[in-house]
Amino acid sequence: MMYEGVVVGVAVLLLGLAVVAGPWWPRVWLGLTLAGAAAAVGAAVVVLVTGNEWEWRSGFLIGGEGLHVRLDGLSGLFVVLAAGVGAAGAVYSLGYWAERQYPASAARSRTWWSGMVASMLLVVTLSNGLHFLIAWEAFAVCGYFLITLEGEKPAVRAAGWLYLAASHAGTVCLFAFFGLLAAKSGGWELGPMRGDASLAPMFWLALAGFGMKAGLFPLHIWLPSAHANAPSHVSALMSGVAIKMGVYGIVRFSGWLPLPAAAGWVVIGLGAVSALLGIAFALAQNDFKRLLAYCSVENVGIIMIGVGASMLARGHGDAPWGRLALAGALLHVWNHGAFKALLFFGAGSVLHATGTREMSRLGGLWQRMPWTAGLFALGAVAVAGLPPLNGFVSEWLIYLGLIDAVAGKQASALAAMPAAIFLAMAGALALATFAKAGATMFLGAARTKPAAQAHECGNWMLVPMVTLAGICLGLGLAPVLVWPALERAADVWHAGCFASVVVPLVTLGWVQLGLAGLMATAGTMLWRKVRANNLRRGPTWDCGYAAPSARMQYTSGSFGGLAAAWFGWILRPQRMLRRVRGHFPAEAIRLDRVPETMLELVIQPLAERVMQLSTAVRRLQHGHLSVYILYVVAALAALTGLVLLENVP
Amino acid sequence: MNHAHLNLLIGLAMGLNLLALGTSRLPLLIRAMSAQGVILGVMPTLMERPDWRVLLVAAATIGGKGLFIPGMLRRAMRTVQIDRELEPLIGFVPSILLGAGGTIAALALTPMLPLLPEHANSLLVPGALATVLTGLILLIGRTKAISQACGYLILENGIYLFGLLLIQAMPLMVEAGVLLDLTVGVFILGIIVDRIQRAFDSLDTRKLTALHE
Repeated sequence: MMYEGVVVGVAVLLLGLAVVAGPWWPRVWLGLTLAGAAAAVGAAVVVLVTGNEWEWRSGFLIGGEGLHVRLDGLSGLFVVLAAGVGAAGAVYSLGYWAERQYPASAARSRTWWSGMVASMLLVVTLSNGLHFLIAWEAFAVCGYFLITLEGEKPAVRAAGWLYLAASHAGTVCLFAFFGLLAAKSGGWELGPMRGDASLAPMFWLALAGFGMKAGLFPLHIWLPSAHANAPSHVSALMSGVAIKMGVYGIVRFSGWLPLPAAAGWVVIGLGAVSALLGIAFALAQNDFKRLLAYCSVENVGIIMIGVGASMLARGHGDAPWGRLALAGALLHVWNHGAFKALLFFGAGSVLHATGTREMSRLGGLWQRMPWTAGLFALGAVAVAGLPPLNGFVSEWLIYLGLIDAVAGKQASALAAMPAAIFLAMAGALALATFAKAGATMFLGAARTKPAAQAHECGNWMLVPMVTLAGICLGLGLAPVLVWPALERAADVWHAGCFASVVVPLVTLGWVQLGLAGLMATAGTMLWRKVRANNLRRGPTWDCGYAAPSARMQYTSGSFGGLAAAWFGWILRPQRMLRRVRGHFPAEAIRLDRVPETMLELVIQPLAERVMQLSTAVRRLQHGHLSVYILYVVAALAALTGLVLLENVP
Repeated sequence: MNHAHLNLLIGLAMGLNLLALGTSRLPLLIRAMSAQGVILGVMPTLMERPDWRVLLVAAATIGGKGLFIPGMLRRAMRTVQIDRELEPLIGFVPSILLGAGGTIAALALTPMLPLLPEHANSLLVPGALATVLTGLILLIGRTKAISQACGYLILENGIYLFGLLLIQAMPLMVEAGVLLDLTVGVFILGIIVDRIQRAFDSLDTRKLTALHE
């Protein structure tokens, strides 16, 4: 029992050492980070396999509170995620953010990286409200410094600032949440407190605070620009792990607190909206990292559909479908971490090779970067939820849960049915989105010179990508291996209440394996056949033109028109069009732009109003001492008047 | 027993308020302020049977407010060679009118306050209110640091008057502490006045806004 705890301690210690070693010795830093991550994963795997929770209370006081660490099934799941992506990104960053290319920021990147991984491990293991907040803040600040590694660019600074502001808006909610929790429960210690029904409304505070970090739909405003402007290894960590800390908070506290009656409905609704609108926005993007960022909103939405369904199940006599939905959601946490990190690594590799994030300036990259193209395609298949990869398994579990809920014909069916429909629509749009991304970036012909001169990335970057691809494949083909861990985490969430369910995961595994084999065989045969028939290379999509140019290909904007047509009411696409006119036409222009609707059309006008009001108030603050004294006198006179008036009748 | 005498002294102090409000000359302002301090210092001996404690408070008040503090202000005034308040924010006549109005309002409002019966006929409360108001008008309406210091001291005199209501309950240490605070405050102000003069070539506190942000 003690063993896991010691290992977690060692992991945090090693990462702490890595923070110190980071600036000077990259290899030592890598070794320490990998060792720390391995130790953390080891401890978490032991907990997940044996089911023995590890809990440790110490008399050592920080801020007047005794240290209380807990590693159970649920935190174990997130520890594996954070340490796994943290390790993969550490290796990747040595190639991607190398000392040679970024002499100013490479050292900072390493230090903050280890700090961020360590603080995330602390967030998911600390079990005292005060210490949780400290770790949470450390994690948010590390994130800020990682996002602004290229702080000399104005766009990066703006993104970092927005991230910091949004993050702290969420943290305010969490301060209120933990403070009220401590006041009501009489201590900062965290743990199951389902008995006290008066705590139920606190869940809304937690949902707002953690939802901000998770990037649920109306609160996602910081996410696209932060993920797009951060260096790609940072985007992978932010998207794969950091937003999952918000998911962790929601899952953790929805398990520990008594739930308000509407909680399940709201969470499943938010999830459904995030899933659908997230992917709609993704489809409309032209910047491939922004596309991936919006896709993260979608995936958090999928996870929240699962979590919300299990909350609903708790309110409906602990129906067993809740367990399915929760297991699916938790598996999706891992899956999204794996394939989104893979996709961001792939995006980083493209960015590294071409220097642009505009999809419409790329094209034909598969010839020059076959590894990146293949791995990106694999990630795209996974994220679109297609068999035989891991995305399919988790979404399948969530579908099973939702369909069982519908079949249960209770009130929850009213939430589960639309959620299932939204999930299906989001899945279809995800496929369209990644067909667009894959096609514009990797297929066709190169549209610009940098795209034509791209080069494959080095081994430092390829190895983590191949590893993550292997994990995606492994989780897809043998989901049965992780099922016990998911069950354990679901048990922790709501101990022993859900009846056990039988899931035909073995069958699913065989089906997936069969499908994979079939596809591999078909692919090989097709390749052989093509080779045998005298392969001839020519431009794709030449549509019968005599002299086709690369600019005649479909652009990402042409795919995005699909989204703009269906979701124009929320995307609000802006278009500038100068048609071809007259016998001697001048230059014709068509510009399409999709704004950040929530940010530009809702939050910013609101913020401007607030700024106007506060500027008006600020005029009172001018530095004239006499007038300040006048304020005091006026306030005193007003108070006196008030008192006298009260005494008169 | 000495109600009449006490009220006479308070009336005097209130008259000095108006004098302080109406003058543009700093020496006169300082003199009015110090005379008020002396009058205030005498009061405890009239209210209590004079034992050594009361005498000590009276002596310290007269010495501090009547001699030491005005002396320091005069020194500061000489150092910076300014003896006129030339451009007040609130003019001298409006100041007097405000002060007079305030005094009348204080007299009118006092019966509405929940006071002890033995204080009902005394001018202590209206006198205190009027003096505080005078101090505030000086603080708001004057621009020279020395006039503002005088305003601050007159404000404190008003608070002292109010404190006399509690003379039986207030320990010696509190009185002594207040006096010490005041002395140190004026001492520091004397230094600051000199610094403002050197930095801005003027004692106009409005120029201090140049320091913000």
